[in-house]
Amino acid sequence: MIEFKNVVKKYGRKVVLDGVNFTANKGEITCLIGVNGVGKTTIMNAIMKLTPVQSGEILVDGEKVTKKTFEKVAFIPDAATMLPNMKIEEAMEFMDDFYTSWNQSRANELLDFFNLKKKDKISSLSKGNTAKVNLLMGLALDVDYILMDEPFSGIDIFTREQIAEVFTSHLIEDRGVIITTHEINDIEHLIDKAVLLDNGTIYKEFNTETMREDEGKSVIDVMREVYRG
Amino acid sequence: MKIKFNNRDPVYVQVIRHFKNQIAKGFLEPGQAIPSRRELANQLKINPNTAQRAFKEMEEEGLIKTERNQPSRVTSDENILQDLRDELIIQAVNEFVHSVKSINVPLDDALNLVKQKYGKEKGDLDD
Repeated sequence: MIEFKNVVKKYGRKVVLDGVNFTANKGEITCLIGVNGVGKTTIMNAIMKLTPVQSGEILVDGEKVTKKTFEKVAFIPDAATMLPNMKIEEAMEFMDDFYTSWNQSRANELLDFFNLKKKDKISSLSKGNTAKVNLLMGLALDVDYILMDEPFSGIDIFTREQIAEVFTSHLIEDRGVIITTHEINDIEHLIDKAVLLDNGTIYKEFNTETMREDEGKSVIDVMREVYRG
Repeated sequence: MKIKFNNRDPVYVQVIRHFKNQIAKGFLEPGQAIPSRRELANQLKINPNTAQRAFKEMEEEGLIKTERNQPSRVTSDENILQDLRDELIIQAVNEFVHSVKSINVPLDDALNLVKQKYGKEKGDLDD
């Protein structure tokens, strides 16, 4: 479980996270939803200690985030992570050198799954294929938690479908996933839990199936209430 | 296998509904093996947890049976299958009555139309 307890993050005087509380369970897909600039990426950066927080606690399986917890969590940012003049196969070698949790057979499976060619140079790839390479590098790590920052933004519909398919496969099964998006349409049926953010706080945190069952509302219905109401 | 999901009903309920229809229409036969949870999640493009939930509910309703290390199978219990058909028929009739009543169609007119249409509609019962 990844837990946020009253996390506050400021950039200078600007408060980005204003007492954020939520949990993301292992074996579930948790989706952080909010318009641009509400702090979704900051939350991910904070889990990876890529940005300091002023107060509050971030726990991974009950432990404060440290170097050790990095072995349990993979972060897939929305920007290119690998050196552009590497070939995909070189990037995989690079990952293998860096991470003990690198799983080459899973990486090969992902290459097939995404129809990527390992001889291709990363700088020569389309935006969609670059996103797939990012996902490959993250998902091929044998870790319990995966953070995905906007995996669908700026990606064509078929590539989005292909990426969404990852969530229904054994590539994700039993792991805990936190995903950020402002386009919930693509994954409305796939997520277990939605966490709605606004102005650096959590507006609402709910289980999507329970919401449909008890109140007959889709995630978008709830978002409309929260953001327009 | 493909389901067009709506966003307001729980996905697992929609999956069960789909299975019930398949069984009632005879596309799934009594005793026939069905895909595993994982295969189902993948085929229907749903969360594996949701597939799990649908399986659990169907097991509890007796629609499917799972024995250890065996694929789940559609029940062969005649009573359950008959109940299922009744349930689907009553559901369909309720919906029909509801929409016909809401536009004030006299019962006899509605029944005549049903009789006419029923004969014509044959080949195109897809889905």
